Amino acid sequence: MRDGINLARRGIPAVALVTEEFLPQSVFVAQAAGMPDIPRVILPHPIAGTGKDAMRKVAESYVPAMLSALGRPS
Amino acid sequence: MTATETTHASTGAEEGWLSATDEHAAVELLHELGCTDGLPVIVPTPERVARMVLASGLDGDLVLAELGPAMGAATVEKIAVAAVMAGCLPDHMPLVVAAVQAVADPAFDLTEMQATTHCTAPLLIVNGPLAPVLGVHAGFGALGPGFRANASIGRALRLAMINIGGGRAGSADMSLLGHPGKFTYCLAEAEDASPWEPFHVARGFDAGQTVVTVIGAEAPHSVIAVSDRDVDPGGDRILNALAACLSSISTNNAVLGGGMAVVILNPDHAATLSQAGLSRAEVQTALYERAANRRSVLTAQAPAMARKGDPDDLVHCFASPDDICVLVAGGGGLYSMVMPSWCAGPHRNRAVSVAVDTDQACVIPGLSAGSRRDPARDGRRGGRRRPAG
Repeated sequence: MRDGINLARRGIPAVALVTEEFLPQSVFVAQAAGMPDIPRVILPHPIAGTGKDAMRKVAESYVPAMLSALGRPS
Repeated sequence: MTATETTHASTGAEEGWLSATDEHAAVELLHELGCTDGLPVIVPTPERVARMVLASGLDGDLVLAELGPAMGAATVEKIAVAAVMAGCLPDHMPLVVAAVQAVADPAFDLTEMQATTHCTAPLLIVNGPLAPVLGVHAGFGALGPGFRANASIGRALRLAMINIGGGRAGSADMSLLGHPGKFTYCLAEAEDASPWEPFHVARGFDAGQTVVTVIGAEAPHSVIAVSDRDVDPGGDRILNALAACLSSISTNNAVLGGGMAVVILNPDHAATLSQAGLSRAEVQTALYERAANRRSVLTAQAPAMARKGDPDDLVHCFASPDDICVLVAGGGGLYSMVMPSWCAGPHRNRAVSVAVDTDQACVIPGLSAGSRRDPARDGRRGGRRRPAG
């Protein structure tokens, strides 16, 4: 979340990727950092340790959502 | 509680203060609002908070620090609210202030530490002349229940981290399980029972200063070592047992490296090592040398995290012997303790020491720790007194 916020502050389009488990924390951090509407895409949990194939599938299926969150038509 | 206090608590007459019909309702309201640690608190009425601010000798609206991840402004008044809720005496306030300042030091990485999934909690180590005066216990059971100063000072820091720093489980504090030291985690060093200079002196302070040191620490791991001087005059059994705990491949210290850790020697273990001719620094060096793993072991266990290099290299858990904080506390016997740490964050969550400002502090008549009988003060020197050297 903070990486996304820091990039956005520098004028670089950014979308934060957050797994379901960490959604409440992302809301808290975004509010605390003064950027409550920072674009984010919610991913299933867990991602880490699920293996390359599973991660690749998640990445592929969420690309349209990421592009959309960045404001580009998917 | 006086009649005046009841009025204020019940009417919430002052702007920005909560109101409740009575003390019980006020405690329930604080629970509901997520302002507690789950245990009952002392209701922070305006009078109680003002008394705590007065004891600090500082202005209530003075901002002493910013606490992450909420980046809340830690004013003296807000710290006083935490101290009242935790059950502190006004005399404890300067220590609570120092503890808050210590965790707010950038080197401590508080924002990241509150947010991590690791269980880390700030361990408060108190050294110097005020520790026994305030009843901060260093002897038998110092990390357990029964000692008001240890319980309330550590708890005050936690309540400040919750209510000013926003560290609530599941939304900002993402510790997967936490540990019991997140309620309170505070003790003094048993300076009289230690064969060495006090811990704060080793960290560069004068013996006459009272110093609070904070370090992000796991729950304590008990370390058994039978020190038999006939067969183990060098204290190797103690050093090996401690090093095994420090370098266990289940610790962040071993896997990530580069962090710090705490070793609390009981007075008997400390005496054995001292009589073997070891200074505190030599104990740190001996532990540094022994707390290491073959790189191949680390790579097999945690390939994504292991530092790269020759598989046969011995990888030290610490960058320097100084990163192992060695102090003496507890009763004398077979058990010492090791607290590994998180080892992450931009500064690898360094230990931070802050001198307690006693020049500003103000004694509140009738509420002074020194004027009360506290079992912690009588039992503080739980370990047997040891000769120096």
